Amino acid sequence: MIEAKEMSLRYPDGTLALKNISIRVQPGELIYITGPSGSGKTSFLKTLMGMEYPTSGCLRVLGQPITKGEEGRIRQLRKKIGPVFQEFKLIRGRTVLENVMMGMRFLGISPGEMKRSAGSALAGLGLEHKALSPVENLSWGEAQRVAIARAVARKPAIILADEPTGNLDHDNALTIIDLLASFRDTDTTVIITTHATHLIEQQNNAIFIRMDSGNIFVEYRRKAHEKCSV
Amino acid sequence: MKNALYNTGYFLKEANKIIRLNWLSNVFSFLSTGLVLFVLAVVVSGWSISNMLVETLQNEAEISAYLDGGTGTSQTLELVETIKGIDGVWDARLVDQTEAYGRMEAALGEEARILGLFEENPFEAFIEVRINLDEMEAVLERVESLPGIDYVRDNREVLGRIQSITEGLKNLGILIIAAVGISTLVIISHIIRQGIYNNRAQIDTLKLLGAPDSFIGFPFVLAGLLLTLAGGVLAAVFAVLLINHGYGYMIGSISFVPLPPRSQLILGVVIMIGTVSAALGVFGSLFGLSSTKNS
Repeated sequence: MIEAKEMSLRYPDGTLALKNISIRVQPGELIYITGPSGSGKTSFLKTLMGMEYPTSGCLRVLGQPITKGEEGRIRQLRKKIGPVFQEFKLIRGRTVLENVMMGMRFLGISPGEMKRSAGSALAGLGLEHKALSPVENLSWGEAQRVAIARAVARKPAIILADEPTGNLDHDNALTIIDLLASFRDTDTTVIITTHATHLIEQQNNAIFIRMDSGNIFVEYRRKAHEKCSV
Repeated sequence: MKNALYNTGYFLKEANKIIRLNWLSNVFSFLSTGLVLFVLAVVVSGWSISNMLVETLQNEAEISAYLDGGTGTSQTLELVETIKGIDGVWDARLVDQTEAYGRMEAALGEEARILGLFEENPFEAFIEVRINLDEMEAVLERVESLPGIDYVRDNREVLGRIQSITEGLKNLGILIIAAVGISTLVIISHIIRQGIYNNRAQIDTLKLLGAPDSFIGFPFVLAGLLLTLAGGVLAAVFAVLLINHGYGYMIGSISFVPLPPRSQLILGVVIMIGTVSAALGVFGSLFGLSSTKNS
């Protein structure tokens, strides 16, 4: 599903964001990526989205090579990804429902199905009462949940969530983590970056990756009920 | 296609939003597009009327072939038939001395009394030949060479002037149409570029969600189309008012100018403005979109 081989990413200013990363992810896996700011978490997600191209090594997502010249196919690939951006990227001047439906309008889904899917995603995140509110009127935490609803309503093969709990209180953050983690049961691969390690301490059946200075520092799996130690 | 139908409401809403986002600028663009298309409507109406005038004048272009003194009546009638058979001649008929006198009398009006000073009818009989203006030279050559024809009065200067006016009007029309087309394209493509710039965050998000360019671009094309169509409606309304007013004036004051039927002219102008505004709207928007694609 996702396969990276000695993948590096160097930005035009010379910053080496990712260093020789090799990883193989299977469908339905849940991955938590932790690490301090600037460790390469967001850069890693950006390469998975085709927003950045590896400068060396290779990367394939759902069989699609992430390389320059493949922009059209990468755009197709993005239809199968549910991204949750750190800065939300909600569309201003639209309601919550419109924002959630916006991510599905070009997927060939009928209007009825779109509404059902959007409604169910919003209900799952406790936002059904806000469906017709303009996104400008939402609190920071609500906006974050709308961004998540937009990603999951598309029923993607991969969910990429960049700091999805960054602005939520502890209880809401845990709810979001649990919700995102639950998609693993539908064979959806879920990759979540966070620097809040305390939120994922109790999570089971997941791959934990710690990144630092563009390297994968630690990678380990934890089965259900197995106590984790680094 | 199915997607496009599902999303019709969304596209219209988006186009409306694109227009509203820069409301004042778009109102001015609508007015200037309307004005530019109105100029086009005026030119095309003028062109249509002048074409009809020229066509009428061309149909009435005639030369006068004067006869040798000794040409008898039967020979004259034979000549008329021969001339009728020449390529480029639409009709030929004999104007005898009496008719020639009567025409001059009518042309002089109150001054016709001067003709009373003549003891005899001073006018000669001649053959009036209606010709195709485009074949004037060849016809003149043939008629002049016929036995029994003394000389031909050809009004060449007048006919030539009519021809050059026709050409001039055509060229002017083409220039104005080109100017109108280019300025409308520039206005619309500028509006679309501005719309794309104002919506860049949304476009970026849609791209990241995997939306195809056609999905992202269609509302902009629709916005450009709606703006130019609105400009076209404005232009058509003013053009219809102008034609109605102009016909009232022309029929009253310069009734000798031949005019196409009013309803036919109005229908033609409205269809032309609608088609041109739609085409310019689509092309202008596509041009605006393609010019921003790489950036």
